[in-house]
Amino acid sequence: MEEQIKKIQENTSKSIKQAQSKQELNDIRVKVLGKKGELTLILRSMGSLSAEERPIVGNKVNEAKKEIEELITQKEKELKIKELEKRLETENIDITEPSKKINIGSIHPITQIIDQIKEVFLGMGYSIADGPEVETSHYNFDQLNTPSDHPARDLQDTFYITEDVILRTQTSPVQARVMETQKPPIKIICPGAVYRSDTLDATHSPVFHQIEGLVVDKNITMTDLKGTLEMFAKKCLGENTKIRFRPHHFPFTEPSAEADVSCFVCGGKGCRVCKQEGWIELLGCGMVHPNVLRNCGIDPEVYSGFAFGCGVERIAMAKFGIDDLRLLYENDVRFLKQF
Amino acid sequence: MKASIEWLKEYSDIDVEAKELGDILTMTGSKVETIESKGENIKNVVVGKILEITKHPDADKLVVTKVDIGNEKLQIVTGANNIKVNDIVPIAKEGSELPGGVKIKKGKLRGIDSCGMMCSVGELDLSIAEYPDQIEDGIMILPKEYEKFLGQNIVDVLDLKEDIIDFEITPNRPDCLSIEGLGRETAVSLNKKFKNPRKNIDELKIENKKEIEGLKVDITAPDLCYRYIARMAKNVKIGPSPKWLVRRLKACDVRSINNIVDITNYVMLEMGQPMHAFDINSIAGKHIIVRRAKPQEKVTTLDEQERILDEDNLVIADENKAIAIAGVMGGLNSEIESDTQTIVFESAVFNGGSVRKTAKKVGLRTEASSRYEKGLSPENAERAVNRAIELVELLGAGEVVDGKIDVYPTKQKINKIPFNPEKINNLLGTNISKKDMIDILEKLEIKVENNTVIPPYFRQDIEQEADVAEEIARFYGYDKLDTTLANGETTIGLLTKQQKIEEEIKNILVHLGLSEIYTYGFINDNDLDKINTPKNSELRKQTIKIKNPLSEDYQVMRTTTVPSMLSTVATNMNKKNENVALFDISRTYKNIDQAIENGQVPLEEKILTIGMYGNNIDFYSFKGIIENVLEVTNINKYEIEKEQKNTIYHQGRTANIKVGKDIIATFGEVHPIVLDNFSINKRVYLAEINIDKITTYSKENKKYEEVAKFPAVERDIAITVDENIEVGEIEKIIAKKAKKILESAKLFDIYRNEKLGANKKSVAYSLIFRDKKKTLNDDEINKLMQEILKELEEKLGAELRK
Repeated sequence: MEEQIKKIQENTSKSIKQAQSKQELNDIRVKVLGKKGELTLILRSMGSLSAEERPIVGNKVNEAKKEIEELITQKEKELKIKELEKRLETENIDITEPSKKINIGSIHPITQIIDQIKEVFLGMGYSIADGPEVETSHYNFDQLNTPSDHPARDLQDTFYITEDVILRTQTSPVQARVMETQKPPIKIICPGAVYRSDTLDATHSPVFHQIEGLVVDKNITMTDLKGTLEMFAKKCLGENTKIRFRPHHFPFTEPSAEADVSCFVCGGKGCRVCKQEGWIELLGCGMVHPNVLRNCGIDPEVYSGFAFGCGVERIAMAKFGIDDLRLLYENDVRFLKQF
Repeated sequence: MKASIEWLKEYSDIDVEAKELGDILTMTGSKVETIESKGENIKNVVVGKILEITKHPDADKLVVTKVDIGNEKLQIVTGANNIKVNDIVPIAKEGSELPGGVKIKKGKLRGIDSCGMMCSVGELDLSIAEYPDQIEDGIMILPKEYEKFLGQNIVDVLDLKEDIIDFEITPNRPDCLSIEGLGRETAVSLNKKFKNPRKNIDELKIENKKEIEGLKVDITAPDLCYRYIARMAKNVKIGPSPKWLVRRLKACDVRSINNIVDITNYVMLEMGQPMHAFDINSIAGKHIIVRRAKPQEKVTTLDEQERILDEDNLVIADENKAIAIAGVMGGLNSEIESDTQTIVFESAVFNGGSVRKTAKKVGLRTEASSRYEKGLSPENAERAVNRAIELVELLGAGEVVDGKIDVYPTKQKINKIPFNPEKINNLLGTNISKKDMIDILEKLEIKVENNTVIPPYFRQDIEQEADVAEEIARFYGYDKLDTTLANGETTIGLLTKQQKIEEEIKNILVHLGLSEIYTYGFINDNDLDKINTPKNSELRKQTIKIKNPLSEDYQVMRTTTVPSMLSTVATNMNKKNENVALFDISRTYKNIDQAIENGQVPLEEKILTIGMYGNNIDFYSFKGIIENVLEVTNINKYEIEKEQKNTIYHQGRTANIKVGKDIIATFGEVHPIVLDNFSINKRVYLAEINIDKITTYSKENKKYEEVAKFPAVERDIAITVDENIEVGEIEKIIAKKAKKILESAKLFDIYRNEKLGANKKSVAYSLIFRDKKKTLNDDEINKLMQEILKELEEKLGAELRK
């Protein structure tokens, strides 16, 4: 009997090894371990054995059973892996075929520049103010120390609705509106569209955008203005950007300055963008004129402040290398999608 | 304002090159626009002597010459006929350059070699006024004694090198619209002594008379004329000006006319005071009256244009007529003629604002008016007229008549400003000593006496402390200012609700594939017709017209953003761009309640405009975008309602978004007629969403709700209804009946076929019910489904599909 068991074991392990499918393994299991299986039959016929032999044979059968079970399980695993490998092979794809991504749109370059500037000033505790584009000459000029016979009015070609109502030529009237309604400390920037009667060409547009900045508090100094603008220039145009103040004149600031930045395209070496100067004129600024503070109900003996205003399109053009301002307002999607 | 360095040197030692001087003056506030180096554009032009002239064998109008240029002899063919043997002439050699970028090359003229060119006055960028004995269309003939310069550079021989700096002068500094003013700035900027070459003029005392040679002056509008001084010269000989004077005028782009006119221009350039010269014979009654113009009064100005004036304009008149527009231009009727014998020099100061308005009205901005409008110093006027008289003597142009007529009703006010160095340092953020401050001020001829700052007569722009601070900062050096950050009270930088909403909208739209555009706030008046606006529409009544538009396309402020969007869509279509998806956040401008007429600002509303066309877009995908916008902006309760009256849109494919009764958005397909008006041949989807209203209704009330614990029950329902029943109505009934236990109602099928019958459609929903508090049982759902169906049957005539 023992030999019979051994033989069954040997034959079975051989056929397990040769098995090619799950079905074959099942057949083997039934043939050997099933109700009428070879080993089962041996167990049943054990009645003819002596009491001493019975446990020994019983043990042998159980051992054989266990071994065969294990072999089958292992083979099953092998077959499964083989099958999986086969499937994976058939599922091979060309990963260089085009994707099905969503076509993302774009934010206009003017907004992108405004957003960058906003971020810097929000971080420094400024709020963002807004004002009307169709403005009164009272706010656009009078409150800003530019009375009707002031020669500075000629510098800006104004679109008139009536004598008293105009299209704002600058974002500065927002300054006056804010000062009239808020108490210091005031820290605002104001981005927005402004209008001047310039014919549209590669560098001019009757509508363009400015960002105005205003700070009014006790003990505000011109060095604060310079420091703030330097911070702005470094954060928006690059950490190595240098700033230079030149004396200038604006009716609503005194002292006034024009601020140049080292060319952020060539780093100051001189290039086409900075016309070989190494500097780019960035903005106009100055200490808020005492007359303006007074006009808006703020006592210049107690408070001082600074203001600045810069053109957005010029920065966008220099930064993105756009050589024609008209592109910004033509809105061709092939242009827009580049940003 | 242009200034030649040669002229500036009269006022200050200048020991730096033009470029460096320009940089230094830029940093002290006189910004350099350009630097022109005269003579630099003439290269390789030398003095030559004509040795022989022979006829050209093949051309009647040409001659062949031999020219000696010192170390070499050249053959030059020329068409000029004013030359003769032994003439000394400028020769542009082979490889030379002339003004205007002309390059001279060796060539053949009718088969004969020509190795250069003889130059005319014009070809060297010189004028007959500078060289009166030359002719316009012939070769420049140099003096015989120039033979000693044979072969030498013409630029050196004629001393043509000159650096001219063009400055941008800010409107607060009319004193710098003169060489004298720029000379002062130069001296202080270079830290040199200001040499005052007009000291004799400053010390001059001229007797004031009521009448000279029968001439009288009266000012009847002293509010517009602060001072009027007249001085006279007789036995005047009108003729050309000397070369040095012509050259200085030319450096400032002023053309020489004759000695007397040139003197007036020269004094204006030198001292910043416009001057005028009249022929006394043209002044009727020898009586100058400075008065307001009469209504519709006509004056023909020197440029032979008739100008019509009114009472706001000031004129210089005689007893019969106006002879000049004050501060703008002289009249043709009193012009200096070649036979003029006695002249009157006018040096006057007018109200700047009045001159500005007059110049604008007559459309004539002159060198004089652009100075007057900035406000000139009446004190300077007397110096200027005395300088003009001095020049008459110097040039031998006539005999000086003693005395002046000086009508000076409003004496120039000299400002007195408290001097407080500490406050100045506080404003600038500096620590400049009082002594250094006074030093700077005194160099600028600003006096400091008893802690009071007294600016000189020519600095009327210095009115208060801040102005004094600027002067100190300019010469302390803006570049020396530190960089600090204000350390005041902490402020918090936050976006407002509306600003956040706009950011959200931009983000979602970009992620959905749309690109942001920028459009102008003004449109063409016709654009409202193009978008089908009804004749009686509010959009027309509220339109704001621009008085001085650049063109018809920029005529009115838009009351709707639609034309701007459709024009942009059309642009993209013309460029053959496929699948275009655009958005714009911008404003409309509406004149409501006669705001404009009352001097108030109009209503400006922020509008989100969306415009799309392309293969993958239909009404429902577009609607999805609108719903996404409402979702991210937290508009939780709204209704979508069909809109059939808006003439911009397709009446069957348009909807309004309403919150309560308020329409916050309109969207849909654009009406084919409107598309046609913009030459668009594709279906375009358009939305107008009012961001101000979105901001009002946006409610951020996010609150956690427990994730469902109890199982859901799913039921499908398919019904047949008339074609005109909107599925929205079906959904409303389902929602109303199911109340809180309806988790979702998903429309999964709509179909139409012959079996259903004409004008019928089958609609199928998958409904999911769930109760938060318990497990639903079949019985109650069955009952609910019965109720829903009953209601659908009764209200919508629906039939259950079997």
